[in-house]
Amino acid sequence: MKDAFLGIDVGSISTKGVILDEDNRLLCSEYIWTEGDPIGAVKKLIGLLEAQFDKKEYQIVGTGTTGSARKLVGAITGATIVKNEITAHAVGTTSFYPDVRTILEIGGQDSKVILVENGVAVDYAMNTLCAAGTGAFLSSQAKRLGIEIEDIGDYALRSKHPTPIAARCTVFAESDLVHKIQMGHSKEDILAGVCQAVVSNYLNNVGKGKRIVSPVVFQGGVSKNKGVVAAFENALGCKVTVDDNGHLMGAIGIAVLARKSSGRRKFDFAIENMDFRAGEASCGRCSNNCEIICVYQNGKIIDSWGNRCERGSVSV
Amino acid sequence: MDFIKTVALPRYAEYNCTFRYILEKGLDVKYLLQPPLTQHTLEIGAKYSPDFVCTPFKTTLGSMIEALEAGADTLIMIFGLCKLGYYGELQEQILRDLGYKFDCINFSDFDTGRKKDYIRGLKRINPKMSFAKFAVAGMEAIKMGDYLDEITGEYYKNYGFAQDRKAYQHAYKAFLRDMYAAGSKSDIEEGYRRAKDAMSRIPLDKPLKPLRVGVIGEFYTAMDAFSNLETEQKLADMGVEVHRWMTATNRVIHYPGETNLNVKIQEYCRYEMGPTSTANIWSAKTYAEKGFDGIVHIKSANCTPEIDIMPVLQNIGNDYKIPILYLTFDAQTSDVGLMTRLEAFYDMIAMRKKVIV
Repeated sequence: MKDAFLGIDVGSISTKGVILDEDNRLLCSEYIWTEGDPIGAVKKLIGLLEAQFDKKEYQIVGTGTTGSARKLVGAITGATIVKNEITAHAVGTTSFYPDVRTILEIGGQDSKVILVENGVAVDYAMNTLCAAGTGAFLSSQAKRLGIEIEDIGDYALRSKHPTPIAARCTVFAESDLVHKIQMGHSKEDILAGVCQAVVSNYLNNVGKGKRIVSPVVFQGGVSKNKGVVAAFENALGCKVTVDDNGHLMGAIGIAVLARKSSGRRKFDFAIENMDFRAGEASCGRCSNNCEIICVYQNGKIIDSWGNRCERGSVSV
Repeated sequence: MDFIKTVALPRYAEYNCTFRYILEKGLDVKYLLQPPLTQHTLEIGAKYSPDFVCTPFKTTLGSMIEALEAGADTLIMIFGLCKLGYYGELQEQILRDLGYKFDCINFSDFDTGRKKDYIRGLKRINPKMSFAKFAVAGMEAIKMGDYLDEITGEYYKNYGFAQDRKAYQHAYKAFLRDMYAAGSKSDIEEGYRRAKDAMSRIPLDKPLKPLRVGVIGEFYTAMDAFSNLETEQKLADMGVEVHRWMTATNRVIHYPGETNLNVKIQEYCRYEMGPTSTANIWSAKTYAEKGFDGIVHIKSANCTPEIDIMPVLQNIGNDYKIPILYLTFDAQTSDVGLMTRLEAFYDMIAMRKKVIV
């Protein structure tokens, strides 16, 4: 029986899961949509991973969760490590690309840049108040133009004269885009313009003041979009590497971290059939009114968080 | 004893104990302490504030409303060198429009740089004030502020390493209670000694080279734990030694002077850029020179002077190879996003230190 490690990355848009063996080899992987239901998505994900997993040869001894729903999912899966997605991405990428100097990452709701020196992250930035130029923007524009999000890249690469689109803010970009559509620009040109807008927004916001040094690795869901990759190469003047598993890098990173950490607990696939529910309660013991999140397994409370002080702690 | 006035100031970090001391001991008026800042304070403040004003405006307005509701009849507003100088006038107008009846003493009206005018301001609080009494109470309140900053600084530097964190926090909280209740110079001295004693009796497990982070930022948000969602406590929880030069006493009482600081940072900026800008650039450079592992820059949304110094900080970060985390705070209810960034920052500086050492 060999050891294996499960990594789960639950983002706002998609849920990613991988199982790695001790030598960082990918045993199985899955990528599904979160669809606003992280608990359901994780149960589905675990079912899909189980189907690919060789239970006779391997056993999962460490589980890691990351992404914006990491805490909730960590409570459900009994994770041995719960870490933020920035660290997970940095660790995942540097395990496969030890020479990397800059990691660009654009996900569904957030974007980040991580600068690496000698195999460790030395600086990072993450978008703060605004989701302009992320995957959510691309997918809503694809819907407006009536094409599938997967096809944006092909359309964009066919364009000869990309339409300039204001990149400062999603709202402005959208009204600019509607205007250009009504002016009769082709879908190809508009989508190439959208890809450029995403890149210039990224470089002007998240990448501001950061020295982007080659080799550059680009990942996150948006890295699957060839149009954005081409726009990045154009703007940076260097090659931008996109890994085949770039969209899974957060999950891979957290699986690597689960292997490196000391925590060990056998993972049970049975949770896909259990009933999980997350409830919110207002503490009400002072005017802070902390929102306390409680997680229930088959009606029994297994974890809670969100309280600022002891008055709001829930005994488990 | 009957007092001529019941005076209140907005909540400002833990400095209200010094305001109380100087007003009650030096000016013979009753000081009213409103409840600590909570989500409710911010909600009522934000409700009546212009949308795009800096966040401390909303917090202090909410805090003033809570003071008026609790029975204050006089509000004092302090002066400042940025938009803060206009806060008082606008907040007074908003409160009057809401129908509150109160006397407003806005020190911006007396902020001319001439001693005579400041005294006029003090006389507005109590026309029969005694200068001798005020001077003595003032010096004692300054001492209290110094102690407060010293103990607070020590707390955030050591909390993450205390063997008994609960007891350590308890000693700090007890010190704050002592300061809020202090009625004389000996109360202040005794409270300080008790805290020093209690905190030094708790053993620390500090490695030879702990992770050190310097906190810099805007005058209100960087110091006020509620406004920055307890960033310093969160860093300390992770086991980081947290340093912050930017305190009220350092900036107001012991300020080395604009010119003196400017000389020390002349390779980075040649002009005065705002009330706390010079000091923050200087602090950042000092932390970088001392080999700190990271710098956290805290500001409220729309704080112009602090936005202006960010390019300068980026130059310092590049020259000294020190990571800088930029945090912006507004009326948020959740600290999940902040936790993600702080955790990532901690992981990064911790992994980086292992490689460098």
